[in-house]
Amino acid sequence: MAVQDFGRIDFMKVSKLNAILSLVLTVLSFTVIYTKGFDYGVDFAGGIEVQVQFASPVSASQVRDFTTSIGYPDASVQAFGEDNEYLIRVGMEKGKDAEEANRLLNETVGKMRAGFKENFKDLQPNIRRVDTVGPQVGKELRNNGLLAGFYALLMILIYIGLRFDYEFAPGAVFCLFHDCVIVLGIYALCGLEVNTQTLAAILTLIGYSINDTIIIYDRVRENMPIYRSQNLWWVANRSINDTLSRTILTSGTTFITVFVMYFLAGGVIADFALTMMIGIVLGTYSSIYVAVPLVVLFENFHKKKVA
Amino acid sequence: MIESFRVRTVIVVLSVVFGALYLLPNFVDLPKGWWFHNQPIHYGLDIQGGAHLVYGVDVKSVIEEKVGRTARSLQGEFQEKNIPVDSVKASDDQKNIVLHFPASSKSKVETQISDYHGTQLQAVEETDTSMTLQFLNSYLDDLQEQIVRQAIEVIRNRVDEFGVSEPVIAAQGNSQVLVQLPGVSDPAEAKALIDKTAHLDFRIVSTEMAPADVQKLIDQAEKDGNYKLGKGEENGLPYGDYIKRLNKDLKGKIPDDTTVAFEKAPNALTLEAGKIPHLLTKDTDLTGDQLEDAYVGYEPDTGKPMVIFAFDPEGRRRFSQITGANVNRQMAIVLDEVVQSAPNINSKIDSATAQITLGSGRNHDEVMKEAQFIATTLRAGALPAALTQQEERNVGPTLGADSIQKGKVAGLVGLIAVAAFMIFWYRISGVVATGALLLNVFFLLAALSALGATLTLPGIAGIVLTMGMAVDANVIIYERIKEEMRKGSSWTGALKDGYSNAFSAILDSNVTTAMSGVVLFYFGTGPVRGFGVTLVAGIVTSMFTALFVTRYIYDFMILKMNTKSVSI
Repeated sequence: MAVQDFGRIDFMKVSKLNAILSLVLTVLSFTVIYTKGFDYGVDFAGGIEVQVQFASPVSASQVRDFTTSIGYPDASVQAFGEDNEYLIRVGMEKGKDAEEANRLLNETVGKMRAGFKENFKDLQPNIRRVDTVGPQVGKELRNNGLLAGFYALLMILIYIGLRFDYEFAPGAVFCLFHDCVIVLGIYALCGLEVNTQTLAAILTLIGYSINDTIIIYDRVRENMPIYRSQNLWWVANRSINDTLSRTILTSGTTFITVFVMYFLAGGVIADFALTMMIGIVLGTYSSIYVAVPLVVLFENFHKKKVA
Repeated sequence: MIESFRVRTVIVVLSVVFGALYLLPNFVDLPKGWWFHNQPIHYGLDIQGGAHLVYGVDVKSVIEEKVGRTARSLQGEFQEKNIPVDSVKASDDQKNIVLHFPASSKSKVETQISDYHGTQLQAVEETDTSMTLQFLNSYLDDLQEQIVRQAIEVIRNRVDEFGVSEPVIAAQGNSQVLVQLPGVSDPAEAKALIDKTAHLDFRIVSTEMAPADVQKLIDQAEKDGNYKLGKGEENGLPYGDYIKRLNKDLKGKIPDDTTVAFEKAPNALTLEAGKIPHLLTKDTDLTGDQLEDAYVGYEPDTGKPMVIFAFDPEGRRRFSQITGANVNRQMAIVLDEVVQSAPNINSKIDSATAQITLGSGRNHDEVMKEAQFIATTLRAGALPAALTQQEERNVGPTLGADSIQKGKVAGLVGLIAVAAFMIFWYRISGVVATGALLLNVFFLLAALSALGATLTLPGIAGIVLTMGMAVDANVIIYERIKEEMRKGSSWTGALKDGYSNAFSAILDSNVTTAMSGVVLFYFGTGPVRGFGVTLVAGIVTSMFTALFVTRYIYDFMILKMNTKSVSI
């Protein structure tokens, strides 16, 4: 048999480098998450978020002066799009029991509503959204979030277990783990708000980004008996090249839609779209550079043990 | 082939027709008795604007109170039966009832408890002269459910007063009540109304005026004063204000010492839609505080459901006086100024428990429902549970309108971008995929309409995302076809192999994404659930359009238009 070509690009050549890169990124993400923690939104942390719009531009410091004047110097004030719309977040007071915390939150909302109407009378403040989450509900949402993550992972793991044998399953699982941890790491590093939308996006990613991996793995299995004379390294390269266009195109079309959503839809949808954007890119990278090399690694490891 | 093509034509045409029928109510106002689906897609609070409130029901305090009351009523029972006991008290933590008695009473005490409270209490500790009793778990579960139901009934009563269209008041989890008020952007008023403690009154219905005359006076007063019941309407007043104003205007026209209060007509959804006036004598001095308990029992002879209730000793004395003085008149049960029921007093009642029997001639279920409703109302007044607000979310109307506008634009631009990309990359096949994509959006919206799903902002994100994912199936098929053609297959052969080889990969990818969608639906709250729904529905419809419909289009081109090959 003549020397067969495995395709245009030698993906496996850089697999060691990528393995190190992925490992470093995963460890870094863990470190950042551990040291810096997440900036939880009101859904998870509890507290108040008020979105207010004025008829004409108002400076952030004016809004901050206002929140200080009504007794919340620690409130975070953030411009929302234009300079006439702001997001104000007030955390929960610590060390209070649930009952008291709920009462205080309720009081704060009342003060904010009344205060805006009074202090910014000429600017026609329009309170467009108020979210108040007390300690019990916050805890419930956190628990539900964790449960959702757990069950989504469990279901996917069972699915992978049924779908692949022991050589492939660990690679797919590590791939998912790698994607999730790095997305969360980016969130921790950039101080992006983690809320229910982030969680929804990550769960969707878990379901979606496994697809590329499945397609490549299927091709590896299909190619193994065809190219018997070649080693797994070669077959892996060949399979990635075979499926490269569909890997990139399927992720690409989905990326187009979340990209559009990020820039045009605004609000909670933009939050969701941002997570998806990061995740899709990572998922595509890891399907090619993490999932497949891991299979080769496991196979070689297995062979050595047998020998 | 041609046979199956005919069948497939029928399937495609039928699904389009049904899709259109389901979507119809979103675009046209259909006549009332329309024979098919007549529900447009429902928007979530984050789009239509409104208030979302979650209240915690203080179940614990009510149960503690219940322990104390049970201890008191046990003491009464022992007295009545001449069983000597030293003390019957609630324990310090209000969780148990502790009995102390002379050793000689032990067996009698045990019999009394097992005979009369066997489904309620169990002994957890026993000596010859003492006993510690605890509520059974099954009883506590029932009690907890009842307390939450009471709270719901109380809130519903007040929200009715507020005149919001389509409010949602439902239990959430074990001890929470969810209240959704569409269109209410500053719920301060509603909150003030909900936070009040329930107030239950018993009042005698006056017979001094005929009901028709009372109604006439009310109509006249409304006309003269130019007001009516109904918040948000022109000249409309919320119930609390309305009833105050009305009674002020009627003063002098109705007998002294009477006031007017209303009962919701049996088939009306709100008080505004149908209210029955009652002329009530002023206070009877008997309130919910004196009521110990109320529950549904059964008439011994007929087995028909009835309401049984019991007062504390003071209440019992009062009740016997009132019933004695008013035999054959009606006693109105009034919760927060709304008459809930007005049973007839058949005779003087001087027993430990009183009964309300319900009208005959109706089926068992209806009677049962009414009995439960009255018992719940009575308990709400007897054991009012404190409510704490735990969550509040408000969306103003402008934000919702903005969001859906932006969502629509994003959806449209996303659709165009994906279509442009597919057509640029796959030429005519891209056009086929785009056709399927458009059909997918059509089917998805029809499915949401058919399911009666609630469309939320994350739900819109789900729809847009599905558009990007739907063409994934086409990409997988097309890439496979290209590959087969590179190997030298003919167009029709490649088409056949492409579809059959790609199927398992497409199924795989959709199953995993759908799993995430299902998990989000189960564990997500509010808007995120809406995302789960659109994601899963979108996956199902996209499987149909991307696999079945595109294949149909190709076969149509080959069979009907004699197309030899299609650019891909």
